[in-house]
Amino acid sequence: MRADAAVPEALKAPPLTDGPVTPASLDEQVLRFPETKPPRKWFVALAFTSSLMTMGMALIGYTISTGIGVWGNNRPVFWAFDIINFVFWVGIGHAGTLISAILFLFRKTWRNAIARFAEAMTIFAVMCAGLFPLIHVGRPWLAFWLFPYPNQRALWTNFRSPLLWDVFAVSTYFSVSLMFWYLGLIPDLASMRDRTESAFRKKVYTVLSLGWRGAASHWSHYEKAYLLLAGLATGLVLSVHSVVSFDFAVSLVPGWHMTIFPPYFVAGAIFAGFAMVVIVLVVVRESMDLKNLITDFHLEVMNKVILGMSCLMAYSYLMEGFTAWYSMNPYLHHVFRQYVGGTYGWAGLLTISCNVLIPQILWFRKARRSYFWMIFVSVAVTVGMWFERFVIIVISLHQDYLPSSWHVYKPTLVDFGILFGSFGLFFTLVLLFARVLPVIATTEMKMVLPGAQPERHGGP
Amino acid sequence: MTAGERRVKAEAGVEASGKACAVLGLFESAEDLLAAIPGLRDKGLGRLEAYTPYPVHGLDAALGHRRSPLAGMVLVMGFIGAVSAFLFQMWATGIDYPIVVGGKAPTAWQAFIPILFEVMVLFATFTAGLGMLLLMNRLPFYGHPILSSTAIGKITRDRFALSVEADSGPLDAEAARAALEEAGATEVEALPAPEPPGPWSANYLLKGLFAVGAACLVAGYVTYWAVKLFPVLPPMAHMEDQPRLDPQEPNAFFRDGRGMQAPPRGTVARGFLPYAPSSPEEADGLANPLPRTGSVLQRGRKAYRDHCAVCHGLLGDGVSTLTAAYGAKPANLQARAFRETPDGRIYDTIVRGKNAMPSYASHLSVEDRWAVVHFVRVLQRAQSATDEDLDRGGRP
Repeated sequence: MRADAAVPEALKAPPLTDGPVTPASLDEQVLRFPETKPPRKWFVALAFTSSLMTMGMALIGYTISTGIGVWGNNRPVFWAFDIINFVFWVGIGHAGTLISAILFLFRKTWRNAIARFAEAMTIFAVMCAGLFPLIHVGRPWLAFWLFPYPNQRALWTNFRSPLLWDVFAVSTYFSVSLMFWYLGLIPDLASMRDRTESAFRKKVYTVLSLGWRGAASHWSHYEKAYLLLAGLATGLVLSVHSVVSFDFAVSLVPGWHMTIFPPYFVAGAIFAGFAMVVIVLVVVRESMDLKNLITDFHLEVMNKVILGMSCLMAYSYLMEGFTAWYSMNPYLHHVFRQYVGGTYGWAGLLTISCNVLIPQILWFRKARRSYFWMIFVSVAVTVGMWFERFVIIVISLHQDYLPSSWHVYKPTLVDFGILFGSFGLFFTLVLLFARVLPVIATTEMKMVLPGAQPERHGGP
Repeated sequence: MTAGERRVKAEAGVEASGKACAVLGLFESAEDLLAAIPGLRDKGLGRLEAYTPYPVHGLDAALGHRRSPLAGMVLVMGFIGAVSAFLFQMWATGIDYPIVVGGKAPTAWQAFIPILFEVMVLFATFTAGLGMLLLMNRLPFYGHPILSSTAIGKITRDRFALSVEADSGPLDAEAARAALEEAGATEVEALPAPEPPGPWSANYLLKGLFAVGAACLVAGYVTYWAVKLFPVLPPMAHMEDQPRLDPQEPNAFFRDGRGMQAPPRGTVARGFLPYAPSSPEEADGLANPLPRTGSVLQRGRKAYRDHCAVCHGLLGDGVSTLTAAYGAKPANLQARAFRETPDGRIYDTIVRGKNAMPSYASHLSVEDRWAVVHFVRVLQRAQSATDEDLDRGGRP
């Protein structure tokens, strides 16, 4: 079946690993992390992130016990950091699903090395995201009112509210991501169960791996289930950020009421998510010495996706501006002038430079393969995407239809504390994950190593 | 005796007693495994099963597995999820408690699509994931003998096992061992029968899941009707639950046990200056401080109609509906005596009351009282109009 000779060198898929990797060496390299004592720098990092997290949690406690008046939100800017952070974190999560589901459907085997990490990041990001609407409702202990259950008020939830769609979309997204991630973990957990020396770990892994024994009949159902989940997650990931964008697009606020919002939000989510994945992957591959598995090729492909998404963002910004201009709506014109001028004009300009201008450096192959430039771009994109949501939410709200209610929003220290606390929560979970579970899906990697499959079934 | 020796001995026991339910051999590569299958299938020693570290392409066909029915199950369950989400939203918003949102009919269905989609995906996902684990693969199951075999550590790493398992009759362990070795297997091992499934196995979990689901449905249904038919619980209304005292309520906070306190002695409320005259005659000299403007007369008319007209009549003629009920005889303000009464005396009557009429000081502010006096003068003038008034074109 090999017509490789006819394929020009430039079009050949590069090897998925640097140097020879066998299933046994893979297990030895990846699965040893949970069995060994973490290095000192891991504890230092964990201490830092968990103290950030603790600060965030303490401020959330302060918010709940005092009331959300401790935030800067005030009319007409009722949505501010809380919703910005929510949209930001949900977006970060989308890269994981894109890598694990959509690239799986496209049969991109290079995804196998990074899928596990990206999926884990999805789950942690959605956890961070879910935190914000929960505390923004003010009385989080009544948040279960968002679900339609028979109650003594004899009322149902409003199924026409985009906020309720959000509840369903985000909770479904979390469940599906968790399921996808866990199914992928089961065979790896079985490997860990069978190689560990410690009786305690063995017990834990035995329970978690559900007695997985790698039977061929099981694999047949497993692969089918994985394929189905990938298909479902693909539709879901597109729907989730569309629904998040409905929170804005379905309202009548100038600057929010736009038909381009769903695809624009989905593109932005994948953009921000890939940037975050690149940042974390670089750290992981360096600190855990996984350079032979997460190769320069992986990083380069990721950077190409970031570049493509950046161009898509540029198109979205232009299209949004064009729609506003073409609408002949004076309110919309006003809001769009505020995006780049006025009190918060710097935020709009920062967004455009971080999301559109800076990523253009990735057109150069050197930049795509240089740690400095990829980290620089990724951090810029992360900042830029956070500010994009700031622009959309705060600038559109702070000058609404009635000039008498215009108000300049100023975040308080509590707002910033909770934002940084959510980063602490995210990175604490990432750090714990990196040392407790296999960071690379070893089973999926084994499947695509050279010689893994029999000759006439796609093997070499 | 080391663990390995013990296992070897146990294994020998398994084989000798004829209790072996499966014989398992290891292969170096997926290629070898696949090559060994056809020969062993032809021998028909029992059911063949392979154990591999990752899914090996072509194994399903070689072992003659049926296509996984998961796709069909997911399709059906996704459909059920979509339909039930749609019907539920329609019923809750359109029928059970119709809500008009954005001027749309309660049954306008378009806005139900996002939740329909999410619930469909949720149903489909759980069917795919849990259906694969619990229903098709019967996992979790911790009692399978291969989990305690020597081979499992290699299987989950990089070796490929083929096992001949007892199908309907007993297994000829010797023949199976020979056949596997002939096919090129190393480390052939006999395995005992699986243990019966424990409480955490797929069967029990599935039943548990169904029980929880059914319990939720029943509980929801019962709660729904209980709330409809017996609304005994007070509705939750946190905003109404306020620590507040109503006017006549007793309260232990003050020493006299009253919730409402009298103003301290000697204080004057705004708009309630003390009334100087001590007798009606002394009040005769009071002058009406309000100008006779349209707004003052409007104010007087409102106060008169609210408080005075019920007895003195809308025209001030003392004819009213309440007199029959009370048997009193209100003054006819149109009488000559009243027309000639000074403003101050009328004011005094409002403050102190007269005969059966109680004091209206607590009902009418000082301004209201004087405005009423003005209005009474208007009524009197209107009822005693003369022909000359017509000549003046209605002007006073």
